[in-house]
Amino acid sequence: MNTKNRVYITATSSVTCAGENNQILFQNILSGKTGIEQDTAYFFNETPAIGKLEAKDTFFDALISQCQNVLENTQIENYKETLLVIGSSVGGMKTTEDVFIDTGDYANIDPDKHHIQVIANCLNEAFDFYEDVSFSTACTSSANAIGYAYEVLSKGLYTNVLVVGADSLSQTTVGGFLSLGVLSSNPCRPFDKNRDGMNVSEAIACLLIETELKEGSVEVCGVGYSSDAYHMTHPKPKGEGAYNAMQKALKEANLATDDIDYINAHGTGTEANDSAEADAIVSLFPDKPFVGSTKSITGHTLGAAGAIEAIICSMVLEKQMMPPNHFLQNQENKALNLTNESRDENIQYVMSNSFAFGGNNCSLIFGSIK
Amino acid sequence: MKNSVRLEVIESAYVYGNNEIEDLNIKELVPKMMTRRRLTRAAKIAIYLSHKVLFSKGRIVYGSSFGELPATASILNAISAKESISPTHFQNSVYNTAISYLSILSKNEEELLTISSGDKTASNVLKVGAVKALDGDTLLLLVTETLNIDGIDKVNVCEQYLECAVALKVQLTQRAPTLKYSDMLKDSKVPTSMTAMMDIAKQCEDNKMNVIEVQL
Repeated sequence: MNTKNRVYITATSSVTCAGENNQILFQNILSGKTGIEQDTAYFFNETPAIGKLEAKDTFFDALISQCQNVLENTQIENYKETLLVIGSSVGGMKTTEDVFIDTGDYANIDPDKHHIQVIANCLNEAFDFYEDVSFSTACTSSANAIGYAYEVLSKGLYTNVLVVGADSLSQTTVGGFLSLGVLSSNPCRPFDKNRDGMNVSEAIACLLIETELKEGSVEVCGVGYSSDAYHMTHPKPKGEGAYNAMQKALKEANLATDDIDYINAHGTGTEANDSAEADAIVSLFPDKPFVGSTKSITGHTLGAAGAIEAIICSMVLEKQMMPPNHFLQNQENKALNLTNESRDENIQYVMSNSFAFGGNNCSLIFGSIK
Repeated sequence: MKNSVRLEVIESAYVYGNNEIEDLNIKELVPKMMTRRRLTRAAKIAIYLSHKVLFSKGRIVYGSSFGELPATASILNAISAKESISPTHFQNSVYNTAISYLSILSKNEEELLTISSGDKTASNVLKVGAVKALDGDTLLLLVTETLNIDGIDKVNVCEQYLECAVALKVQLTQRAPTLKYSDMLKDSKVPTSMTAMMDIAKQCEDNKMNVIEVQL
């Protein structure tokens, strides 16, 4: 990639099951207060542990509030010159489900409220963006959105981009992951030998990404993409696709493996993901950076995960605090440098991994401004 | 911010059918029956078109406004009937299913992006493709819509062709544009989500330099 401009995250806002804003979220990540709870609302005879947003607003009202929060914390007056980049895996699926379950008929389904574009349409109505584009690559959707923001800004094609990662829970996602047998009934235990699955959850995360350095900014240093070309739901057993994405991100950022201080792993708590990702990290990083997954606190927010974890990485850099791996008891891959405690460290560069169905991989690198 | 990027359309192809596109030559392209049976309609069409435009490996920007509608409809019906969701339908319901299968079959380990921007899908595939093409490689731009589900007539009041797709193999060029296209041409026969690229594919001429200018 021919890059020229440096790219910065200048303002963020989020709402997750683990906190109604970034500060609460990060505090809960450090202290181990999980937003994951057992739930029978979706399937009465199953008790998966999932992460729900507090039902204060509708999902779309919350979406507008999060974008408004970002706007209020920036020096730009409005979004009229801003490219909106959405990452979502389900878009308006819940709306469609509600109508279809209620009526059993397609006739009342509004196609414009079903597809992924419903999120951009809602935000355009509220803010009038310059342009918008929506990515839907399952669980890498908003990581890819951040990667695209990095590309258009570094190439000098735009001056600011708002990335929004947003996914709401639906029967399709909860029931779908149940059908695959990968949902845990407890907060997940990524990288634990006795892990028993993931926690699906919902979230909204917004990041304003600009070419101008502002106070408190975090730099987006690089992105790496790859495909497993292996299986629809299983990663390559030794994590070759993940390895390639991380290696490409390092190359793009012009960094060496020993520059990375912390990796926010995809770390879902599933058998297949964690063993493959651990192998990939151990193979690529001989200097053993600290590795952690924050999904035991936030759950796996699917298309929003890349954006949520980019905010968590920004806060790791801002606070210079490394989050622990909660609920980890019996580490499976002993070569992985996991920690059970929050650590106050000198942190310059962090990597965030996102992997998805279809073998879609995206690694992002963020850096501290010192 | 008013940037533009010129792309040479090296190869192009499109297909459409009233209910289903026939003659996708899928038995020859995917000889293994077990593999073939797992493929969605969109995946089969993607495999067919990538073969038509002679693209095997490289970056792909794919788009679909409604994604894997047949798998989504099966899931909805299962939920409504209080039945278990089929794991195959679930894994095949994500928007990036078609190019994921394409990458698995062609062992393509490069970047694959999927865009879903409603009526602007093809227009955005062109824009994202143009941004990526600045890196100097050859890309496949592909859009499919597979709307052929039972009861679709209750929500579809416009499109005549329930399956349509278009593929453009492109690379960056400095040459002057030879083709013009409309971002969201209304066409009663195919979904507006693909008309921008369909418009280009229909204008491309064999043995001629076909160049478009994409406004970002």
